Amino acid sequence: MGQKSTETKVAIGSDTDVIVACQKGRLLASRVGLSINEQAAVAIAVLEVARNIVKYAGRGQVVLSPVCRDGRDGILVVARDEGPGIPDIEQALQDGYSTGGGLGLGLSGAKRLMDEFEIMSCEGEGTTVTMRKWAR
Amino acid sequence: MEELDGVGAASTIQKLESLLLVAVPRDLTDRDVLRLRRGVLESVRRYRSRWVLLDFSRVDICDSFFGRFIQSTARMAGLMGSEVIISGLQDAVIETMVELGMTLPNIHAVLDLDDALALSREQEQQDGGMPAPGVEPLESWEDEVVVASPFTNLSEV
Repeated sequence: MGQKSTETKVAIGSDTDVIVACQKGRLLASRVGLSINEQAAVAIAVLEVARNIVKYAGRGQVVLSPVCRDGRDGILVVARDEGPGIPDIEQALQDGYSTGGGLGLGLSGAKRLMDEFEIMSCEGEGTTVTMRKWAR
Repeated sequence: MEELDGVGAASTIQKLESLLLVAVPRDLTDRDVLRLRRGVLESVRRYRSRWVLLDFSRVDICDSFFGRFIQSTARMAGLMGSEVIISGLQDAVIETMVELGMTLPNIHAVLDLDDALALSREQEQQDGGMPAPGVEPLESWEDEVVVASPFTNLSEV
């Protein structure tokens, strides 16, 4: 109930939206009490998954919510698109793997920067990335 | 210091001695990044800059796209005979860059503008150029060989 009211949705369709999502991610990370370095980690992880939406799916959304578990505050990031999906997730999570001309550190980097990282993808149906970062 | 056209309202690219000083703005979109890279290359050509200093002190986020921008700018500037130095990385940025797995081979990194100027002046001097007026020769810390022997007399190099 309380979680719904504070959830922030950012529609992703352009590289400007990517920056907006990143800034809102950082803001929420600071509100839930993450340190400066953890805020930067969240901001980058949001940036990486949001960029992937623009690059591979064209459009989608990023939903940011404050979460609490076992007395610890954190941030939940869900990035969703209805794009082509990722045929081989394990390969996509390998360092240096890229089909989009990047460094190939986007998804694997986001995974390292966050505490929890799940990716669900069906070819032709889209991709959902769910990530959490907890205050220390 | 001469102000050049930059990205956005704030002047981003300035000429300082043999350095092209690029104050990288924060929150650049992909398009801004590409425009900035073109601006850097145009200015390197116009000012025959031997060094490009990418100053990151205003940047609080460095993701893999940004890393790619640094690498590609360095390669392109290299084809014009210019070398890239990065400076001013914030602690949080450094930490996340390393966690991200980003490496920046063949790029000089220094703490701040002072160190960048010292590096460029010293290198010019080693290359046989005239030292900038009023500047004391510094010991080289860039070259591994010289670091191994900190008392190397620069005139003997």
